[in-house]
Amino acid sequence: MLQFDDVDVFIDGVPILRNLSFRVAPSETVALIGRNGAGKTTTLRSVMGFTDVRGAIRVGGEDVTKLAAPQRPTLGIGYAPEDRRLFSAFSVEENILLPGQVAKLGSAEISRRLDKVYTILPELKEMAGRPAGNVSGGQGKMVALGRALMIGTKLLMLDEPFQGLAPALAHRYAEALGKLRDVDPDVTLIITESNPQLLKSFARRTLTIERGEIAEDTRKEDAA
Amino acid sequence: MNAQLFILALFDGVAYAALVFMVAVGLTLIFGVLRVLNVAHGSLYAIGAYVTVSIGSAIFAAGYSPVLAFPLMLVAAILVGVVLGGLMEKLLLSRIYDRPEVLQLLVTFAVFMMLEDVQRLVWGNQPYFQSAAVNLLGNIELFGVFYTSYQLIFLPLVALATLIGLRLFLRRTLTGKLITAVTEDREAAQFIGINAERVYLLTFIAGAALAGLGGALASPTTSVLPGIGTEMIVLSFAVVATAGLGQIEGAAVAALLIGLGRSFAVYLYPELQVLVPYLIMLLVLLVRPEGLFGSPAARKI
Repeated sequence: MLQFDDVDVFIDGVPILRNLSFRVAPSETVALIGRNGAGKTTTLRSVMGFTDVRGAIRVGGEDVTKLAAPQRPTLGIGYAPEDRRLFSAFSVEENILLPGQVAKLGSAEISRRLDKVYTILPELKEMAGRPAGNVSGGQGKMVALGRALMIGTKLLMLDEPFQGLAPALAHRYAEALGKLRDVDPDVTLIITESNPQLLKSFARRTLTIERGEIAEDTRKEDAA
Repeated sequence: MNAQLFILALFDGVAYAALVFMVAVGLTLIFGVLRVLNVAHGSLYAIGAYVTVSIGSAIFAAGYSPVLAFPLMLVAAILVGVVLGGLMEKLLLSRIYDRPEVLQLLVTFAVFMMLEDVQRLVWGNQPYFQSAAVNLLGNIELFGVFYTSYQLIFLPLVALATLIGLRLFLRRTLTGKLITAVTEDREAAQFIGINAERVYLLTFIAGAALAGLGGALASPTTSVLPGIGTEMIVLSFAVVATAGLGQIEGAAVAALLIGLGRSFAVYLYPELQVLVPYLIMLLVLLVRPEGLFGSPAARKI
């Protein structure tokens, strides 16, 4: 589903990703682990088209480095950045709907996906009409996940979703990810995290990134 | 100042504010989305006026109805927006969005200088006058003062319709939402699939068309001659800065404030006429550096 082939990324002349290569199969859940500055966020941003990439990044077999950034989400890629990046001018629901409207999915498909989002994250339905600028940081992470779900039917990339969440909310978020797996078993899920303990429960595979390279690739067979 | 002069100054101010608003709102829309202060906006205003006057004079001389003066203004605005605005964004601005602001400012300033010369080349230095639209609507008497219906009723109505229409467009339509999203966070807009480059082009065309419409609307009330663009762009900057960059409703209020300030100065202290808009701006910015409606952190349109 996602494949990096010898990817180099420099930011301001500094190499951030070096010869990065890995492969993630469809419907896999992968934890991308690494210290701050190891290149986790840059890896995700490179998929979305916000870095200068040398090498190939394939999503579903297609080399996305040939596509402009705004064309990439339409391949079914949903991205929830660490800092949420919601549109405060819109309500929570408008934020969730927008990627579907942009992709011109049609109202029936959009409302089907919205139902899916509300099934996975029922708390979003209660705050649907609230301005996105008025939700708490933790709730904002949920909204960002909901927005990513609207378009990310094939590949979902969540950047440090647990960062800064209160324990109760972190638990809720993990629960929602479990629910997502039930509702949508085929989607490929990539979650970055600096604390590997948090993702152990539901990621079958852990990719550890160090200084822009894969340092370790571990799978466990028994995990749910 | 007697009552009649007061009313007259009030009317002058409102009529002028309506015109300034049309130009300033395009400027502030462009700045809100593209983060580029478009100095050439004044030229787009002037060319809108020239195009309206030239085509108007030609078709009225050929015997067509003066009612056509009104649709003609729209045609001129669209011409200015699509042809000049579209070309300027596509050929110049789209190449320098990630360059320093100073460079962007210099580029739009260079376009302004070139367009000023183009106007002299095409239309020469003589003034043009074509007031069919004003004559058609006639005069009205209000509070004992005779004034043209065009300036007292039509212009403010157009400005108000523009304000409300623009707000509804941005809030209710998908294209408007795309513009709002790109304004707030260009990168986030892109990772949910919004083509920011197209939104930039669309916004610039819309803003340029508003400047052109401002010129078209102004043309029957004044002599169209070299320099009108310069005067308008400087005044629009004052309005936009007073309101807060990117503020649409704020631009309306600031345009009224500055329009009225200027017209009262004309009657009370004519020697201050040119200075008053900048005094108002200076006073506002001294107290609120982000403008009347701007907020230092968030930017909105």
